[in-house]
Amino acid sequence: MDNPVVFELVATVLKVVLALVVALQVAPLMVWVERRQAALIQRRIGPNRVGLFGFRLFGFGQPLADTIKLLFKEDFIPKHANKVFYVIAPIVPALMGLLAITGIPFGKYVEVMGYRVNLQPVDLNAGFLYLFAVSALGVYGVALAGWSSNNKYALLGGLRASAQMISYEIAMGLSLLPIVFIFGTLNLQNIIGAQSGHLLFGFLPAWGIFYAPVSFVIFVITMFAETNRLPFDLAEGEAELVAGFLTEYGSMRWSLFFLGEYAMMFTLSALTVCLFLGGYEIPYLPQTRIVEMLSGTLGNELALWATFLIGFGVLIFKVCIFMFIFVQARFTLPRFRYDQLMRVGWVYMLPLALVNVVVSAVWAALSKF
Amino acid sequence: MGIETVAFILMGLLAVALAGTLATRRFPVSAAMLLITLMVLLAGMYGLLDAHFAAVAQIIVYAGAIMVVFVFVMMLLNLPPEETRFGTLTLGEGVLTLAGLGAAVVLGTKVGHGFLRSAFQPTNARAPFFPEPENLKNVAALMFTDYLWAFELISFLILAAIIGAVVISKKRKTHAEHA
Amino acid sequence: MLSMPELGLYFSFLLFLVGLFTVMFRKNILFMMLGVEILLNAANLAFVSASKITGTIDGQVVMFFVMAVAACEAAIGLAMIISLYRAKASVEADDLKLLRG
Repeated sequence: MDNPVVFELVATVLKVVLALVVALQVAPLMVWVERRQAALIQRRIGPNRVGLFGFRLFGFGQPLADTIKLLFKEDFIPKHANKVFYVIAPIVPALMGLLAITGIPFGKYVEVMGYRVNLQPVDLNAGFLYLFAVSALGVYGVALAGWSSNNKYALLGGLRASAQMISYEIAMGLSLLPIVFIFGTLNLQNIIGAQSGHLLFGFLPAWGIFYAPVSFVIFVITMFAETNRLPFDLAEGEAELVAGFLTEYGSMRWSLFFLGEYAMMFTLSALTVCLFLGGYEIPYLPQTRIVEMLSGTLGNELALWATFLIGFGVLIFKVCIFMFIFVQARFTLPRFRYDQLMRVGWVYMLPLALVNVVVSAVWAALSKF
Repeated sequence: MGIETVAFILMGLLAVALAGTLATRRFPVSAAMLLITLMVLLAGMYGLLDAHFAAVAQIIVYAGAIMVVFVFVMMLLNLPPEETRFGTLTLGEGVLTLAGLGAAVVLGTKVGHGFLRSAFQPTNARAPFFPEPENLKNVAALMFTDYLWAFELISFLILAAIIGAVVISKKRKTHAEHA
Repeated sequence: MLSMPELGLYFSFLLFLVGLFTVMFRKNILFMMLGVEILLNAANLAFVSASKITGTIDGQVVMFFVMAVAACEAAIGLAMIISLYRAKASVEADDLKLLRG
């Protein structure tokens, strides 16, 4: 443990494991939340039977039961499918979802044995572009699933998904440019740091959402499209395409797609929180202040750990708000028609994002130079 | 030999092997998937060469955008698997190809070893503007100063390509429909 | 012993050879276009390796420009393939030898 290289390695592995643990909890929890919330919206009861140790707990055991059911289902590969790609396809979105989550900063830093550990598992020099790179690769899972199933509906679903993701990725990337030149960095830790500590107009927290509100709106809309959620889930529109690219899938392979989808939802929500809503920081109370207050009683090292836990809770809370919006939108809004989807992407989102970039660039240039 | 060099060699060999398999595939889609894997491997190699921006741009632009368009078109056409057919070369063409390859090897090794090592000594080349880990800022600093004209021209090229693609792929009215 | 960027130049050469082979010998236009992408990637690898050898950033900037050109090439090429497929119902280079048609 004296060797800094070994220490760095161990710390990185632990951080990645933490991120993966979080990511793997998201899918089962969200399945339960989604079913219960849908039931509430539709005035049903929803799954409330499966409990633990005789307590029902609002059906909290349901995800466990679902997982066991999915694991024991027959692992079926259709005869007419392209076997190699049929097997690879569900792995891609799951892998990319889990990889993406490692780029989220869960806290500022802690000190262990004199070393400072940055609490962002993967911190490349390219900053949050890493998240974009990984999420851009996720589309191949859907496209491959559609193609390898050798089924007309699946193929149409795959085609729609790839067209949709390409169209909305452009608006998504453009919507984040104002954030980059307002804060002058791509590093998520620095962006969060720039959002805390001072106030805008004396009373607003200096969050990205107040600097670039249009970007926030565009980003949230494109986020729905990127994760293939309603109202943008044309790729699996039941009314027209049976189940789209999922038609030929069952058991654990089917659920891998959802593991990826929920992990990606979590990651994009966390990215929104970091860029626009101050990340793990509490408004009006920056973490440096918390550390100062706590270090008197706990000592510096423990105070950092306590702050990390508080910040982690704050981050999860903010992400939960977005997850709630995701589910609420799914059971509130009807699905777009395909031509409407393309029109929204290319005719409204893209020009709006471009105008937003130019206006923010002029404003940033005038205020900075 | 450090662990990075070993990883670099493995990735390079794997990339070349993938490219070789690609050339003999029957399905265009499987060839495209191999090419995507190759590009991700190349991105890893760029990362090992400390070109972080190149690595990320490679994945976002190449693997994430250009290849999606390829896969999209392949799925749209949804061709049946074809027999892998290769063209043939006449003797003269073969000789010319080999001569060209020989010239490429000579020039490549000469340029690679002689020219790069002598003419571009670190003293001769311009040092990066920002200190070492700031790869992104360095690329930006160069792209928007010395290469600004190239950047603007490339953006016009892309605009022309977009318009060209739309015009070419537009369904033309046949003569029968005109009449 | 060769250093990492020098090895990169050699890998780039090998990749270029394979790409050249694909472009020259495959008769399917889609495969020929994939071969062109391999060629461009090989060139990019050479640019990045050279930028590491010389300790400058220029190679990486040029690599980005090559990528933009590749995007243009893919857009135009694929549009042409779709339009050719509509006219001839084939993507074989041998079927497309008429100047008018």
